Amino acid sequence: MKKYLKSIFVYPLLILVMAACNEDFLEPKPLSFFTTDNIFVDRAGFDALLVTMRKDLTREQTAQKNFMAHQWAASEAGVPWLQMDYTALTPNSDRYQQFVTQINDIYEMVKNANVAISRIDDLEWTDPDDRNEVLAEAYWHRSYWYYRLIGNYGDLPFLKEEVRGVRLDFQSHSRWAILDQIQSDMEFAVQHMPISAAPGIPTKGAGDHLLSKIYLANMEFDKAIEVASRVIDGPYALMTDRFGAEADDPAKNVIWDLHRHANKNIGQNTETILAFVDRWEAPPTARTPGLYTMRVYNCSWWHSAQGKDKDGNRGTIDSGPLYDSLGRGNPDVALSDWHSYSIWEDENYNYMTTPDLRRADINWFDREELYYNNPASSQYMEPFDPENMDIPSEYWARIYPSPFYKTYAPNYPDQTSIPMGSNGDWYIFRLAETYLLRAEAYYWKGDLASAAMDLNTVRQRANAPAISPGDVTIDFIFDERARELFAEEPRQNELNRVSYIMAARNEGGYSLETLHENNYYYDRVRNLNNFYDRADEIILLGQRPRIMPYHFQWPIDDDMVNSNTLGRINQNKGYTGSANNVPPLEVVE
Amino acid sequence: MDEVVVVGYGTVKKSDLTGSVVRVDPETFKNQSNVQLTDMLAGTVAGFNANQGTSAAGGSSLEVRGPTSLSAGTEPLVVLDGVIFNGSLRDINPNDIESVDILKDASSAAVFGARAASGVILVTTTRGSTGKPTINFTTKIGVAGPTNDEYAFRGPQGYLDFRRDYFRTLGQAQPDYHWFNPDELPEGVTLEQWRASNNNPNPDDTREWLSRLNFFPDEVTAYLAGETINWRDEVMKPGIRQEYDLSIGGGTEKMKYYWSLGYLDNEGIIVGDKFSTIRSRVNLDFQVTDWMKVGLNSQFSSRDESVVQANLNGMYQTSPYAQMYEEDGSIKWFPHGYIGGQNPLINYLGQDRFHKRNNFFNTLFAEFKLPFGITFRSSYQPRIESIRDYNYWSPETITGGQTYAQGRATRYESNTYEWMVDNLLKWNKEFGVHNFDVTFLYNLEKNRIFSSSMANQTFLPSPILGYHGMQFGGDPTISTNDITYSGEGLMGRLNYTLMEKYLFPGSIRRDGFSAFGRENPRAIFPALAFAWQISDEGFYNSSLIDQLKMRLSWGVNGNRDIGPYSSFAQMGSNQYYNGTQVQMGIFTSTLSNPGLSWEETESYNLGFDIGILANRINLTLDYYDMSTVNLLVDRSLPRVTRFENVTTNIGELANRGFEATLGAVTINRPNFNWRTNINYSMNRNEIISLFGDTGEYTLEGQTISGEIPDFENEWFIGQPIDVVWDYDILGTWQVEEAQEAAEYNLKPGDIKANDVDENGVYEALQDKRFIGFSQPRHRIGFRNDITFLRDFTASIFIRADLGHMRAFPPSVAGWSTFDRIGTANYPYWTPDNRTNDYPRLSVNDSPFGGGVMPYKSSSFVRIQDLSLSYNLPSAMAQRFNMQNLRIFGSVRNLYTFSSWPGWDPESGLTPMPRIVTVGFNLSL
Repeated sequence: MKKYLKSIFVYPLLILVMAACNEDFLEPKPLSFFTTDNIFVDRAGFDALLVTMRKDLTREQTAQKNFMAHQWAASEAGVPWLQMDYTALTPNSDRYQQFVTQINDIYEMVKNANVAISRIDDLEWTDPDDRNEVLAEAYWHRSYWYYRLIGNYGDLPFLKEEVRGVRLDFQSHSRWAILDQIQSDMEFAVQHMPISAAPGIPTKGAGDHLLSKIYLANMEFDKAIEVASRVIDGPYALMTDRFGAEADDPAKNVIWDLHRHANKNIGQNTETILAFVDRWEAPPTARTPGLYTMRVYNCSWWHSAQGKDKDGNRGTIDSGPLYDSLGRGNPDVALSDWHSYSIWEDENYNYMTTPDLRRADINWFDREELYYNNPASSQYMEPFDPENMDIPSEYWARIYPSPFYKTYAPNYPDQTSIPMGSNGDWYIFRLAETYLLRAEAYYWKGDLASAAMDLNTVRQRANAPAISPGDVTIDFIFDERARELFAEEPRQNELNRVSYIMAARNEGGYSLETLHENNYYYDRVRNLNNFYDRADEIILLGQRPRIMPYHFQWPIDDDMVNSNTLGRINQNKGYTGSANNVPPLEVVE
Repeated sequence: MDEVVVVGYGTVKKSDLTGSVVRVDPETFKNQSNVQLTDMLAGTVAGFNANQGTSAAGGSSLEVRGPTSLSAGTEPLVVLDGVIFNGSLRDINPNDIESVDILKDASSAAVFGARAASGVILVTTTRGSTGKPTINFTTKIGVAGPTNDEYAFRGPQGYLDFRRDYFRTLGQAQPDYHWFNPDELPEGVTLEQWRASNNNPNPDDTREWLSRLNFFPDEVTAYLAGETINWRDEVMKPGIRQEYDLSIGGGTEKMKYYWSLGYLDNEGIIVGDKFSTIRSRVNLDFQVTDWMKVGLNSQFSSRDESVVQANLNGMYQTSPYAQMYEEDGSIKWFPHGYIGGQNPLINYLGQDRFHKRNNFFNTLFAEFKLPFGITFRSSYQPRIESIRDYNYWSPETITGGQTYAQGRATRYESNTYEWMVDNLLKWNKEFGVHNFDVTFLYNLEKNRIFSSSMANQTFLPSPILGYHGMQFGGDPTISTNDITYSGEGLMGRLNYTLMEKYLFPGSIRRDGFSAFGRENPRAIFPALAFAWQISDEGFYNSSLIDQLKMRLSWGVNGNRDIGPYSSFAQMGSNQYYNGTQVQMGIFTSTLSNPGLSWEETESYNLGFDIGILANRINLTLDYYDMSTVNLLVDRSLPRVTRFENVTTNIGELANRGFEATLGAVTINRPNFNWRTNINYSMNRNEIISLFGDTGEYTLEGQTISGEIPDFENEWFIGQPIDVVWDYDILGTWQVEEAQEAAEYNLKPGDIKANDVDENGVYEALQDKRFIGFSQPRHRIGFRNDITFLRDFTASIFIRADLGHMRAFPPSVAGWSTFDRIGTANYPYWTPDNRTNDYPRLSVNDSPFGGGVMPYKSSSFVRIQDLSLSYNLPSAMAQRFNMQNLRIFGSVRNLYTFSSWPGWDPESGLTPMPRIVTVGFNLSL
């Protein structure tokens, strides 16, 4: 009995021990996440990667520190208001902007594309067209972001494959090597991209458009013309007639319609080549913080420092009328007189008289239209008077007109957040730019007549007077780009691109050897942007506007350089640390 | 010396210890307020490094000896009544604890193998004893406030000065006097001049001045009305604490029982910080037959952690010239009219939180006597934990009224179910002078933590149901996160004792763990030790030192404290709306490392136990040398890869240290007994190797050839983990040094650092130096317990952490909004205040390659505990049918000596509570 009793207790315990003693017991079991082993088993896995890449495009013009704002803050059209002194921009600190840190974000896009590219043949594709279409789009995204990276930073490591283990021996490739690589990637991609696709998905047109930019940068002008022509002759056309939601409002015009966020991805709009999708009606987790166009580009008209009335009390305030439509301008990009006035002037017209719809009164909010919106002020609803400012001599810098047709993105009726610029679609590529790219390629080839024709196509739609071939210069092309593509083209990147072209052709007294001391970018920005001429008249947060030739490219994050302990990522010349550079790789292996 | 000490899977007499084990007697700390057992351990045990927690839940950080890992956890393992306890220390009622034993060296801890590298804390709870029931009731009531008030708030005048000085040193176009109070203009400046420095001055000088200081209209209103808010007093209020504990213990020969129930309710020093818990324990032992014993240890706790704390940043940043409420009586979101200056009390007042954690931990055991003196013990330990964290932000909050419309609510639920089985065989036999004690263990564990969360917002028709009505919102989101992992252990131990004075224990343990299951599921951890009772030898003859023992031990311990899925390449996900539907996007978020394996710490310990003057003075000395290899490291990768790091096994880390504990009966007279206890410890650690990549690199301006450091993590070969690598700050550039400063693109008031290579630029690799250490170099505890007038006891505990420094980020904080907010009260440079310790408010740190951080000494000496108690004389107590009645009072963190400019040298930029407690204890 005693023995029997013991077994009752002991045996079950022993059994429990034995039962657990198989090898399965220590097998790790992932439950709530996918791994690279179980996701790329069909096209759906790859498509989910592509979804991430499409969403990545929204970084261009959503949230306050968006990439596009930096492009215009580093141009003839504006300055980074909160840090106007570029000499304070170091490989260590970009303080209130992200000239330095955005490199990290963009490499994230490269990483996402590389996962698809490296793993494309992990799957046995039943239809090779499926494979090539996925691969082509991944190439498109990688090439798009590398085009942006070399424009920002020049020479950089080109990552051709997904990083799957420890690697600390990255080397910089020259921008020319990177251009060669993305050129050949895109030559493959355009053969496999779809002619048409749902909004936000790059098509063959977006492929050709990107390729024409790459050809231009790589000085393959004939090919640039060829692929640009493929787009222009393709299923696209400039919008010349009123369309979309506000088509019936006689006060507006086609340029207004073209830039309504709701009109960018509708079928009627034949000018869109690619526009990202970002909608307020999406669930909060599936939308961005918004376009932030009113925050980033509009002046801080509502601020107590400028908005005084004649009694020295507050004349403008951050509520009520004006606040809902101009929003809480910061600004991150303070716009220059060149952008507001100079580019609209010629021998016959000024900004008020120009027939150019892109400067039409209805499309802009001029500073003369500003009024005191504080009901408590004795000057309520009276026009803003610069003489009431604390420092009237700063009026030119602090109060400037708004390109309202682009920045206007009011809150939706059920949106309670601060008016910064709500969610909306935004152009990545638009046919007007394709014309301007082709015009530029013709220009480099010396075919000024064809260049003038393309320029006039764009100007004509905007009701701007036609120009003659004799008027075509690279400066004119870049003026036209600014008139047409504000907050759409990566302005600094394009100026940087031309800096290399002119230096490589030894035009304008530039050369590749001394590019960081003397370049087209600097000469244009320094000479045209009135902030730099009037640096003595404005100081903000201890800084005055200041720029040097080497700022045609931005510094590379110190941490990125230092953590790469077994190789050398070069620092751009002019910034601290570039003394340690080694020659960049000239071919992507 | 005959005291029994708990070691892994057994007990030994203290005199038989071979490793480094410290016993802590909770009796010593019974007069102070203990929310968790770690409240007793801050600074009181040599080699146990603990920093006090600051919240209402108490507790402290835990680290035995030194950090043995770079990336994996370094908290010691907790063993509760002989079994591994994975729950929170908050679940254990300190009043139930009979003893705490801390295993510091590898050989003692090695029986716990894979999880013992960071030391082991063995907690033993009270059990019933034979005899009539003992009923014990204790209550404590207390109040808590911060140890230091200076840093909290600049106050109205400080705010005005701060704003003026910010503008003056910013580098503006206006003259220096522009921002001065027109009533207090600098000498030689007339009111007319002052007015003329603005183009359009307000007719009213005061209004004009406030406008120059960029006061918001609401601030102007408050200033003119003479109304100010003391945010310090709104955000921090005395925290009331109460605690009630009841226990009953007793038993017969066949059955013993202990039952307790404790309730504790604490408020923190910041409003909204609170902690309350009900904790209950039942310990039962049944002697079923002479060969079988069964029992149950059951612990239940219910914790309420529904903390919605007032915001400290809001306290610093909100202007004292402000209004707490809108005219309609609702809370004012932006009290001084700036939308970045949020009312620190918004969420405290408008957020509804329900955060409860229920824990049930049981040990069911049976013990059998088998033939040949073998005993077999089997136990089963299920642990169940349920967490519910529900939150509702009403439309009165910014989250529920602005970020989201019509309210926002979230519900998070997590359920843990884990079990462990221990099977233990023991055999003890003596053959003449030989004694053998053998232990075998087989252990299995499985853990499952399943959690789910949901969120919703924009509740219609009304949000009043809060988190109870999730279905009424318009934008639901859900997510789940389930984790499972398992482990096993196999251990054998032999303790061989010769002639009762030579002790040779040895053990070996094999562990398995699923996180390493892809390639290296198992690892082996051995240990050996030797102890020698020198004073028991015939030749030993000393009248001064009457007890002398030497201990030597060696062992290898493991660390598995990384996430269960660290070896996988995990995919992250995000949602995207393509205009018609929501799509799911994926991306790689971690790198795969299937070869991930155990981190192993090998350590040696040499110790001496010395008894002097008939053991009136006891001295324990220990020296240890630990070396950790196969470090689990989150190795940083160059950012171009866009992986922050990959978890890998690599490198070697060494820790060496010395510990001394001295206990003495200083005075022993009939009416006056004074006992003193001093502990001292120091630990030095060093990174021996990292990744094995060699080459040339630059550091401190030298070109060095050898193994390359990890600059991103600031890990350097030959340096401790806690070394501070930064610019050597010499002072602040003064006005007359403007020209020199300009060479660095700096201005007076900016940081002046040592430009080591004098090349006119600050570069990280050239100019950063090793300037100090962030962990204390020396730790000292000094305790005195005095019993006097027979029934009184007083004790004082003084603690010192010395020789270390701490970053002081406020001095280099982003300042672009200082024209519209305030800051905490820390000093700054102005042309008149020519300090070299602090920079100007608008400091320019961008010329400093790799960034610059000021460090300040955080050494301190503090009177950490002071207590006094009175025992009612037993004769008198018995007259009232009581066994004992004791009344007591204590103060924690009474006074601190330190030069640290923040709240407290131990907690840095977080306020540290000072707690005053009174109470009584009654035994029936």
